[in-house]
Amino acid sequence: MEVGLLMLAGGIAAGAFGSILGLGGGLLIVPLLTLGFGLPLREAVGVSLVCVIVTSSASAGVYLQRRQANLRLGMVLELFTAAGAVVGGAIAFLIDERLLAGLFALLLVYVAATMLQGLRQPADEPATDDETPPHAHLALEAGADAAAEEGRTGEPAGGFLAELGGPGYDVTRLPVAALGSVGAGVASALLGIGGGLIKVPLMHLVLGVPLRVATATSNLMIGITASASAIVYLVRGGFDAYVAGPTAIGVFVGASLGSRLGHRVGQRALRVLFVLVLAYTAIEMVRRAAGMS
Amino acid sequence: MTTTGRPEALEPALARVLQVGTYLSIGLVAIGSLLLIAGGGSPLAGGPPLSLSTLRGDLLALRPAGFLWLGILGIVLTPALRVATALLGFWRRGERAMAGIALLILAVVAAGVVSGLLAG
Repeated sequence: MEVGLLMLAGGIAAGAFGSILGLGGGLLIVPLLTLGFGLPLREAVGVSLVCVIVTSSASAGVYLQRRQANLRLGMVLELFTAAGAVVGGAIAFLIDERLLAGLFALLLVYVAATMLQGLRQPADEPATDDETPPHAHLALEAGADAAAEEGRTGEPAGGFLAELGGPGYDVTRLPVAALGSVGAGVASALLGIGGGLIKVPLMHLVLGVPLRVATATSNLMIGITASASAIVYLVRGGFDAYVAGPTAIGVFVGASLGSRLGHRVGQRALRVLFVLVLAYTAIEMVRRAAGMS
Repeated sequence: MTTTGRPEALEPALARVLQVGTYLSIGLVAIGSLLLIAGGGSPLAGGPPLSLSTLRGDLLALRPAGFLWLGILGIVLTPALRVATALLGFWRRGERAMAGIALLILAVVAAGVVSGLLAG
């Protein structure tokens, strides 16, 4: 019973933490299950994908109701993220778990570094209940909107492309975004994350989609991306329902709490704590990759 | 009107699919988790693999595995159900290109199932 309750509590903490910092739960579930409960990395990735779908579906429903997500653009890109996810799911069963651990450590270092950068900026951006890249506000502050503006004026959108735009923006350079979406799908399937870290900058900087719309659209896309790869894990047997149950419930509850309490929590202190957790986790993942644990 | 000037109806319907699917599925997973934890079982003991043939029996016998697997299948299939609903919606509205994209997404997901079955 104790293990089940601990798993539930860990899920709540991961869901709340991820939600308050706008990172989704995926980034924390894999370390929680592998380092905290000794699960094989591949099994943890499968469970993490299910947790990612839960939080994404719940919040994507809200985004759709508010008409904040660009449904047509999201579905066009979903085709590529889903394809990448199926390929990534297949690759995950071919490569050594130590390589997966190494890749996960790289991801953690990247997120920690961008969060450290964020600490130098005023931390007054609103918390979200989706997987927003930690550097999203930096991109805005560094003039990414200007870059996005350049992208918009690069070529006029016409035909089918014109239907993918929204109020005040056209969608350009779709092939580049499609290629990046395949990469986001592969990363999602290999590492058990939603892939918003790739999709949001891709839509915002490459396609010229406003950041708020890009975040909502990415959230919509995360569901089917993670679903395509989770199915591969389910079918191939790399999945434990007993672990997934309490963890998914915990993440769902934690993410709901986080989205409600986020604005009351000191973001700066939380970010410092999060960077420390990420750094420790990255070191442990490197040790695992090196066969030292 | 939508961003592209078409009458709106699709987004609220898709939102409902996502929300109802998620809440129903998470409810089933919650029941399964409760049965597992209350029964003194450890999640680390290793749950039974997915078996559609035993699912009904597990549910009727109130075994945690039945609720957990049904809920997990619901969670994983909810986004695909959203895409299928979008397919129907786009088709009815005469948006053939978007309906085709939705169909392709479902085909990719199905390809994942087939490739997993072949490899597993």
